[in-house]
Amino acid sequence: MRGLQSSAEQVEQAGGGLTADAVLAGDAELARGVLGRDRKAAAEFVDRFSGPVYSYLSSRFAPRVELAEDAMQEVFMVAWERLGSWSGTVPLQAWLMGIARHKVQDHYRARLREPQCWEDLEEEPRDSGMAGLEVVLDQQRSAARAMALIGELPEASRLVLRWRYWDRLSTREIAAQTGRTEKAVERLLARAREQFRSRWLVGDGGQ
Amino acid sequence: MNDDLFFEQLGELCDQLGERAPAPSTLKSRVFTALVRRQQQQGPLKTLSACRKAGETLCIFEQLVAIAPVGEPVKAKNPCEVCHARLLGERVDDAPIWWAGCPYVQFQNR
Repeated sequence: MRGLQSSAEQVEQAGGGLTADAVLAGDAELARGVLGRDRKAAAEFVDRFSGPVYSYLSSRFAPRVELAEDAMQEVFMVAWERLGSWSGTVPLQAWLMGIARHKVQDHYRARLREPQCWEDLEEEPRDSGMAGLEVVLDQQRSAARAMALIGELPEASRLVLRWRYWDRLSTREIAAQTGRTEKAVERLLARAREQFRSRWLVGDGGQ
Repeated sequence: MNDDLFFEQLGELCDQLGERAPAPSTLKSRVFTALVRRQQQQGPLKTLSACRKAGETLCIFEQLVAIAPVGEPVKAKNPCEVCHARLLGERVDDAPIWWAGCPYVQFQNR
């Protein structure tokens, strides 16, 4: 699964140039303040980390803004409940992102366990043929366009694509989480890729 | 390049270059309010007198409560609960509030 980094990498990334020790020391002081029920520290906690947490959640729940907002509230509530057990060896931002990732996984799992997601799938999964268009990935606008197109897909398709390719779960892991076979997950992915491809090609003038 | 590789690269590209949506100030405000309420359910908040002694910046309303001749239990309550800045902050993006030391002002994306 993508997103697993060493503690040192997480510290550097979260610190924006600060040394690892400085980031962790600052985080520890902030955590002490929040645990001490200091409202000013709580405000700083929300202000400092809401940006990256919301950015991640909105990218995974798009176009359902209300889900991203609910999830963000839950992330901070869970963080408060568990802050006392924060190890202090990884930056608070990385720790919060871990909670956020779990929230996303919980949602994907629950939605993809619903039977209607798995109806009318083709017997044999096929490649979509997107591979021949890899040159478009060199362009920054492709990212914005791809994100918009993914947001237009039926829910099961956008969730399984994001789970498999954005968060890098294997088909085996998705199968285990949803109680389906790997073959069924492959079929669902194949349909999702095909839906993506047909939308992508429409924008390309049908080429 | 097969489909898997294509979509993995696409996912990476979107995460790297995709537009970063800033957290709406109304959402930050609601999260903060909910967090402080949860903290309050589990014990008294740090008193305003203690915040003041620690050199924290209090808003004008908090300063008044901090020096008021009332007991410490009152100063351990959340004064934002009865402040219009909270109501505006939770409901309006780019809310018309500018007091120094106010958390809801801190959350405005401006």
